[in-house]
Amino acid sequence: MKNKIFQELIRNRLSQVIINEEYKSGNFKIPIHLSLGHEAIAVAISNTLKPQDKLLLTHRNMSYNLARSGKLRPIIDEYYLKESGLANGRLGSMNLINLDSNIIYSSSILANNFSVAAGIAMADNIFDNSAVTFVLGGDGSMEEGSFYESLVMMKSLNLGIIIIIENNEWSLGTHINERRVDINLDKLCESLGIVYQKLDNNSVLDYLNTLQETRIKCKQNSQPICIEVNVKTLGDRVTPPTHEFPNGKYINYHAGPASTVDIKSDFYGLILRENSEDPLFVLQEEIGIEKLNKYGLEILEQLKTELL
Amino acid sequence: MNYVEYLNNLIRSEVLRNDNSVLFGQNINAGSYLSGLTKNIKVNLHSRIINSTNAEYSLTGFGFGLMMNGASGVFLLKQLDFLLLGIDHIVNTYNIIRNLNDKYPKGSFTIIPTIVDSGFDGPQSSFNNFNDLCSIARVKGFTISNKSEADYLITNHLFEPGFRIIALSQRLGKQEIIDENPPINIFCNGEIFQYSNGEDVTIVSSNFSYPQANKLSNFLKKNKIKASHFNISSGLIENLSIIINNASLTKKIILVDDSKCIQTSAEQVLPLLANCNLEKTLILKRNLNENWLSPVSDIFEIDEENVLYNLTN
Repeated sequence: MKNKIFQELIRNRLSQVIINEEYKSGNFKIPIHLSLGHEAIAVAISNTLKPQDKLLLTHRNMSYNLARSGKLRPIIDEYYLKESGLANGRLGSMNLINLDSNIIYSSSILANNFSVAAGIAMADNIFDNSAVTFVLGGDGSMEEGSFYESLVMMKSLNLGIIIIIENNEWSLGTHINERRVDINLDKLCESLGIVYQKLDNNSVLDYLNTLQETRIKCKQNSQPICIEVNVKTLGDRVTPPTHEFPNGKYINYHAGPASTVDIKSDFYGLILRENSEDPLFVLQEEIGIEKLNKYGLEILEQLKTELL
Repeated sequence: MNYVEYLNNLIRSEVLRNDNSVLFGQNINAGSYLSGLTKNIKVNLHSRIINSTNAEYSLTGFGFGLMMNGASGVFLLKQLDFLLLGIDHIVNTYNIIRNLNDKYPKGSFTIIPTIVDSGFDGPQSSFNNFNDLCSIARVKGFTISNKSEADYLITNHLFEPGFRIIALSQRLGKQEIIDENPPINIFCNGEIFQYSNGEDVTIVSSNFSYPQANKLSNFLKKNKIKASHFNISSGLIENLSIIINNASLTKKIILVDDSKCIQTSAEQVLPLLANCNLEKTLILKRNLNENWLSPVSDIFEIDEENVLYNLTN
């Protein structure tokens, strides 16, 4: 089981890097948001879902769709808007939904999906099917009024929902400290009687254990639970020095191809950050370089075969 | 029985006939029950009635979530203006659902707003042009003006799979429900009701101008002018072939609309009649006074004698 999870994590990263290479070629007509750095939480959620559960995503849904489908070709085809795509070319990237894999909704509108999740959970409540609804948002979406409205609604109606806030500290090109006061999500949840948890070490197994326990608590108590996950959206860069920025200017990654991310012949090159901000670095610490490299090369071959 | 009481009876009956439904909205099971509209509603074992939070944006999303997961949601709200807060879901969330219509379970979602059109409510209660709301995202919607329309539209559409908005009139709310003139034809699943068939002139009413148009039709009849009267209950002006055919025969048309917007349904209908070789076209709509943003009477009246003069001269 553990090895399967590790392989899924590596596959998720490699798939995104391959998509990034296609993206660099300029052939995609649609906007795409890579989620390099989000792999640990995506794979953990994917492995927590029960067949009856529902997952609602945001515009940055790539790692989740990869994790749930387990395939790369249909996602690339979807980005090319082909009939053979995951959604038959009808959705593209930002709204990519895969009902066969429990992804019931993806929204490109910030915080739009929280209240939809409440409705979905309410329907499952009526049907009495023991499902849990997982809904994703970011540090930007929790600034929207709908986030608060939805938390109040979820708690008031005793809905079994796990709200995942991926806090990457950026909203487009604006850092969290530039745009707002600190929002103490723990206290906000406490004020509404909602259990709050935090994940921040990028260990896929730790995340999986926490999520599995949380899912049980959520269902047993019929209560929403909010989990804040610290993530670093990788693919950022520093521009060459200029007169105005002698040390170069930091550009966070939001959307588009990540110019600093390349396929390397050496698998070690796929670790993008030599610290816990990168789930693959954390995995390397857990399983060792040799095993990581072995899995990586095997999966790379599988992906090449899939794309042939 | 007044308009609200009649609708309350119909809604209560339909709710009991449909399981797995959630009725929600502010004060729908408390206080005045939305002026009586939601009074004494009972739901089945697997249904719910919820006095909701005050959050129109999220309540609209909640309804679409119910629908997406195969349940039936009915969101009742006191005022059409409040629904402006939910417009993102009506446009964007619904676009996702209808794009994947073949993949989602066949759930249902109906929003029932009351249009504040009785006057004296002030600047934040002035949104009465229902077709504007439907047009912005091409969503199905209906207005209910009388007993026949209430019977047909509530019975056929309240829990129909898919999404629609059914708008009610506050002005008509306390009045005896109009039941004097049953339709002779109902077209396009209740989008157009035909109330009379005459060869002299075609009358087309829209939004909530049916009562005025019906009165005009009766007035003209007394003056030996036989009118074909169609009421467009749909919020979308799409398939008007039945009206175009009629106007091609009468060569005279009267378009009646009580909306406050610039582009009323009448203006939208007119270009579609370009090939009817019309000899006479009359557009009857509001002349807003400069104090229209203040609480005023808000009455839309037709000068019937003037219409008669224009038709015959």
